[in-house]
Amino acid sequence: MIEYLLFATFVGLLFHGIHRKVIARVQGRPGPPIWQEILHTLKFSFKQTWIPKTASQTLFVGIVFVAIGIWSGALFLLLSGGSILLLFAVYLLHKIVEHGMGLSTGSPYTKFGAIRSVISAASELPLLVTVVAIYFFTRSLSIADIAAYQEVNGPLLILAFPAAVAMYLVILSKMHYGPFSIIEAKEIVSGNVTEHFGVWRAGIEVAYALKTYVLLYAFVLIFIGALPLWLTLLVMLIILVSLSFVCAVTPMLSPYDTVTIQSLVTGALVIYIVILGVVMG
Amino acid sequence: MFNLPTTNIGGPEVFVLEFGDIVAYFSPYTAALFVFALIFTALVIVSRPERQVDIAFGGDAYYTKEVDPNLLRFQRFMAIACGLATLGAVMTGDVFNFTLFASMVGITNIGIVAAYRNRHVLNAAFQYGIVAMLATVPLFGGAAIVLAGTGTLSMWELFGGAMAVPLIAKAFLVLGVMGEGMAPFYIAKAEITRAQGAPFILMVHVSSLLLFLRVTEIVISM
Repeated sequence: MIEYLLFATFVGLLFHGIHRKVIARVQGRPGPPIWQEILHTLKFSFKQTWIPKTASQTLFVGIVFVAIGIWSGALFLLLSGGSILLLFAVYLLHKIVEHGMGLSTGSPYTKFGAIRSVISAASELPLLVTVVAIYFFTRSLSIADIAAYQEVNGPLLILAFPAAVAMYLVILSKMHYGPFSIIEAKEIVSGNVTEHFGVWRAGIEVAYALKTYVLLYAFVLIFIGALPLWLTLLVMLIILVSLSFVCAVTPMLSPYDTVTIQSLVTGALVIYIVILGVVMG
Repeated sequence: MFNLPTTNIGGPEVFVLEFGDIVAYFSPYTAALFVFALIFTALVIVSRPERQVDIAFGGDAYYTKEVDPNLLRFQRFMAIACGLATLGAVMTGDVFNFTLFASMVGITNIGIVAAYRNRHVLNAAFQYGIVAMLATVPLFGGAAIVLAGTGTLSMWELFGGAMAVPLIAKAFLVLGVMGEGMAPFYIAKAEITRAQGAPFILMVHVSSLLLFLRVTEIVISM
């Protein structure tokens, strides 16, 4: 498990680097090398570490471990074929991490990042609707059962395309530099992570790398099925590059527009589920 | 031992605690929620609140707010009570107990917000209080309809699939929890006016989120 955790962290950081590179190339800039995020994490690991004098010290430090803990748990969940309801829970609990990270410092910038994370709670709703839509088809929330269902009936990407679009939007809303990245917007410096420096920042980078890996891996498992590792990584990379294109050509939305779009998508999916309920009983 | 029929939803039972005819339990799902609530309750017990840095408008001056020890004591007490109510809500195996714990979470959330002596924050707490009070009607109404429709409130019986729980009961339960758990939106309003107390205010979010996750499991399983 430890070796897979390290592998997922490494790949997640590499994906973050590729994400930055693709955005830069689309925008006509050279961009950083793709291993830049790995170097960043290593650099932060060895830099001087401190806790702001105004911070709630226990929470400031504890929240970093919680972030790593929940995404490591989510990775274990995927590997063991557990319930996607628990994956949904982890995704929601990440909201607490974002919020706690911002509140714990005392800085107004991090606090506004934290408040924005509460306002953008609508980003979780498409995932819940996705879970319900998948249940309609597979009559199970176990990842192992969902993979088995797809072996017999074909990928859910085709059978439940609107649910796949919703999950794609969920991943997009958690990508850096994306249209929904309002909690890390530059008008509030770096938002909720502004005050986390040194090894704490490295810890956050590791947690975020795991998060990216888990979300992309979950998308492949839930909507395409169980594939060999090399093919899984390739499909994850293709999804990531498509996300990077969206991030590169879309300006950051205002907080209210973010909520509006995510709520509209959720509304459309609720209609889809009602239709599914009527058609499939 | 009790053969909890939730293999595909929350997972099989891993621990059972009997209180007469009320049987609390852990599935992998509720155990994960319980651990998360426990971690944050522990954080609330040992953490001190942050000291907020406030920026004065119209200049580049800033100052650090001081923490009032009396406010701190009351908020910590309410946050711990909120944590305990959340722990109860995620591990109970009885629908009525769940609604009781949910309403207790709502009350303690009001306490955490209302402790702060600021007009805007108190306004937010008052508005949230009205919503939370109104939400108790569908919350307990949902449990009452479950009892009237099936003759039991035990999740062990209800999750079996043999009893048809009325859709309106499920809708009322969700509506009730949404009312009790709407606190984060009011908290956000209060936070914009610079209320302090990160670990305690965070407990409001934790409890609301865990209640929502638990009611999702209950409603899907019934």
